[in-house]
Amino acid sequence: MTIILVVEDDPNQCLLYANEIRGAGYDVVTAHDGREALELVEKARPDLVVMDVSMPGIDGIEAMSRMLARDHKLPIILNTAYATYRESFRSWSADAYVVKSSDLTELKNTIKKVLESRSRPAAPAGA
Amino acid sequence: MSEFRRDRVSGRWVIIAPERAARPTDFPVERRYGVGGFCPFCEGHEDKTPPEVAALRNDSHQANRPGWRVRVVANRFPALRPDSPIEIVGDPACRGMTGFGVHEVIIESPRHILSLNEMDDAGVTDVLRIYQQRLASVRQDSRFLYGMIFKNVGSAAGATVEHSHSQMIGMPVVPEAVRTEVRHARQFNEAAGVCLFCNIIDREVAKGERVIHVGRHCIAIAPYASRFPFETWILPTRHMPHFDDHPAEALGDIALALRTVLNRLDQALETPAYNYLIHTSPLGEKSADYFHWHIEIIPCITKVAGFEWGTGCYINPVLPESAAAFLREASKLGRSASGGRVMSSS
Repeated sequence: MTIILVVEDDPNQCLLYANEIRGAGYDVVTAHDGREALELVEKARPDLVVMDVSMPGIDGIEAMSRMLARDHKLPIILNTAYATYRESFRSWSADAYVVKSSDLTELKNTIKKVLESRSRPAAPAGA
Repeated sequence: MSEFRRDRVSGRWVIIAPERAARPTDFPVERRYGVGGFCPFCEGHEDKTPPEVAALRNDSHQANRPGWRVRVVANRFPALRPDSPIEIVGDPACRGMTGFGVHEVIIESPRHILSLNEMDDAGVTDVLRIYQQRLASVRQDSRFLYGMIFKNVGSAAGATVEHSHSQMIGMPVVPEAVRTEVRHARQFNEAAGVCLFCNIIDREVAKGERVIHVGRHCIAIAPYASRFPFETWILPTRHMPHFDDHPAEALGDIALALRTVLNRLDQALETPAYNYLIHTSPLGEKSADYFHWHIEIIPCITKVAGFEWGTGCYINPVLPESAAAFLREASKLGRSASGGRVMSSS
């Protein structure tokens, strides 16, 4: 089964995301900060990471950067309350950028879309 | 003793208030540094950026694949969009315009370098060449009135990724700072019959005390009314309003000047964060007689604070003549703090 790593420092939001994503048919593992996420990505070998950005210690963009330095094919979705992190070119490393909402439909659709795009053969360059 | 100086190009007043320091560099500098990690701009990571709109390649490598020297991509999250209509919005009291424009990112090297001066002269010439191409591309489209090329290096200068890059924003308006420069240049030309910038070059060469570098096709100076410590302008000695019209044979010498100045700033200030920008003539402007493109380089040393916001007037704690002398001397000191070789030929 497809494993999703949810990285979220707010415990209530983390629980909500985990339940909703499990309900969509995925296995879910959770981490509450960047450091824990870096450890878990090695142990759990997730197929995709849903990453909060604003977290104490190692923030989500830094954690993403370190994860991709080890495996640049790992799909990562930045999931943040703030649209302003888009201004950072480092956010380009993510497969998608979702602004948090109480309705998780967009997040779940984005997870599906990113996983589908990764399972297809690569499109021709520039397509 | 402090003094007021007025910049003839912008019309801006500056207070030059030299500190009693042993050296003009004896104050805290916002330095640039690398943190590493994954970089979306490095060669091999082309899938992390939008498709390229232009590139310089060594051979017939495919677009969006490795093998490029300089690569231009649209900003993934642009400030302005080319597919936006151009429409006036608001009412007469609050007039605005829809966000039409282009926002491109120029990735200057396939290698993970932190500053342009880590490249050789041929690499910097490539970057200038692609700047010209991108400005020419927006100039061909009459909806654009201005193209601004700018560069942020180091987080203190606004850079969000350390890999050396620049940006171009093409706009359907002429920014006020440029409009003001053009107006002052036109007024000077009408009164004196010569280009304001050519006049500045002649005076600075004759005086010599603010000259940092003299090339075959350009000159680097500390402007008389520098807003910031170690602010440096590079001006082509040939009168040319539009940067993208500048003859290709001069680009190598301008690249050398740019690299020389950046190396010397690294030497003097220990790899400061910095910005540079190119002021070129407005795209539709018939300003051949009076405007003169130039590059403005601004190391991040002083902060813009309440007085500057309130007055548009800057306080510069380093005498431009001292800054120029220090940067001239930097050429004799050898290897820069970043490990780059300081140019000894100039």
